[in-house]
Amino acid sequence: MKLNNYNQRLLNIEQRTKRFLLGALGAMLLVLLLIAIKQDYLVRSTAIYFFAPNAQGLNKGMAVKFIGFKVGSVKEVSMQPNATVRVRVSLDDEYVHLIGLDAKARLVKEALVGESVVEIIPGSQQVQQVTQNSVLQFERGQDASSIAESMAAQLQPILSDIRQITSSINNPNGEIQQTLKNLNQVTGDLRETVKQFTQLGVSGNQALDSVHGKLDKALDSVNANLEVMDKTIPRLVDKAEATLDNVQTATSDIKRMTADSANELPAFIHNSNALVQDSQDMLEGAKQSWPFSGWLRKPEAQVLPVDGYVPPEKP
Amino acid sequence: MMGQMRLSSLLVLSCVLFLTACGQTAPARNARLELAAEHSQSAQRAYDRGDYLVALRQYEMALQVDAAVENISGVAIDILNLARVNQMLGRQEVANAYLDKLLQDDALVYEKSYLATAATQKSLLLLQQGDENGARLWLEKASAWCVAECSLASVIDNARAAIALREKDSDQALHWADRAASASRGDSPLEYANALRYMSEARLMRGEFSTALRLADEALALDKSLGLPEKIKQDLLLLAAAYEGQGDAVQAKRFRERASRIVAR
Repeated sequence: MKLNNYNQRLLNIEQRTKRFLLGALGAMLLVLLLIAIKQDYLVRSTAIYFFAPNAQGLNKGMAVKFIGFKVGSVKEVSMQPNATVRVRVSLDDEYVHLIGLDAKARLVKEALVGESVVEIIPGSQQVQQVTQNSVLQFERGQDASSIAESMAAQLQPILSDIRQITSSINNPNGEIQQTLKNLNQVTGDLRETVKQFTQLGVSGNQALDSVHGKLDKALDSVNANLEVMDKTIPRLVDKAEATLDNVQTATSDIKRMTADSANELPAFIHNSNALVQDSQDMLEGAKQSWPFSGWLRKPEAQVLPVDGYVPPEKP
Repeated sequence: MMGQMRLSSLLVLSCVLFLTACGQTAPARNARLELAAEHSQSAQRAYDRGDYLVALRQYEMALQVDAAVENISGVAIDILNLARVNQMLGRQEVANAYLDKLLQDDALVYEKSYLATAATQKSLLLLQQGDENGARLWLEKASAWCVAECSLASVIDNARAAIALREKDSDQALHWADRAASASRGDSPLEYANALRYMSEARLMRGEFSTALRLADEALALDKSLGLPEKIKQDLLLLAAAYEGQGDAVQAKRFRERASRIVAR
């Protein structure tokens, strides 16, 4: 029983060992594959060349870019017998048809302090594309040092001008110094004027102080009056509120009464009118009937009595 | 039995006839005539209380309405009254113009009583202006127009008495005034008082002061009852003259003082 178990355990160990070795082999193959991919062993490429006066900035493995995309790398930098440098570049076949024979290789820095790359400057596409072992023209792009040199050359005359201006400023008899002296004089005059204004302001302030004092007194009396009003107004407001309450109550009563009688009033008025009209008709009829027609005096136009007296003439 | 039934039938028939008579109504006037009559009545009330300006306005409105509906008698009454009111306001010319408008109207034919009244008023106006002849002429015309049911007889007689007094003819004055007094006694206190006053003046002219005093005193009582300030003033002055004629200067002065205090309004 124990033997069987032992054998079984040996078999398991053997199987695990096989599995470990197979895994390690697979891992190695995978690493190799990755290295091959990285080294473009699995990519079909075209080798082209360019010649540079020196190898400064050129290194094996440098990226080769075309319109910002990596299309290859520098495979070899070698010095030639005529003291020039030959650089072999491997271009992916995928992009070869985009690069003409009149294209240029330029050594540039991607940034002010970045690494250098070889940039393929596209030529005319009508020209035949590069093929294996084609040779491109080479030129160096401006790097930071060359830019600095250029700038230094341009700044030189400016700096000399500034130096002359500074010396002119420092010259006591120079125009600038004379102008400053005049400005100083004007400033002194201004200071005197400001002083006079200040004195005027002080006297004005004194006058204002007296006015302010009077205003204070006046405001004090106004305050006193306002205090009286403050005490009086609440009482008046209370009374006014009470009065308004009474008025409101009366108004609401009237409104209620009006609302109550609103439906009855029109009918009442109508009936009253009819009653008055009927009464008038009856009265008119009675006035024209016997015996009332004899009793009541009808409006008749009458001649005013003629007065037969004439006063005697005054002597 | 038959006699009782006949009596009952007669009673019933009488009642029916009586009630029918009661049911009769006076002929109705149109609204415009009612309005004119109301204006005229309102004017008369204003005249009676001495508010002559109001009376003038109301009579003018009455005349407009009456003229609009060509109420001829109404137009005549309104014109006569306007002349009277203007006379009371002292506008003699206007009063005269109104009277001429009535007397010289060829288009409308007025009743004679209105023409008689107009002629009398014109005569009195002329007399007031000192034209005795003209006054007499228009009085003759008035007398001619004053025929049946004319109430102007006493007025015309008084006017004649006034003309006689202006002409210092006390006999004629007493004659006409006495006729006027007889005609107006118990009928027109206004004209009766006028007649008494004229008689008093005639008596004064004759120097019969006691009679003049009695007549003037009677006239004063009547004028006071009628409420006529101008007449009261004239009566007081007559009384003063009579007292003066009798030699009672104190009484004469008293009555003159009383007369001076009368202010017509």
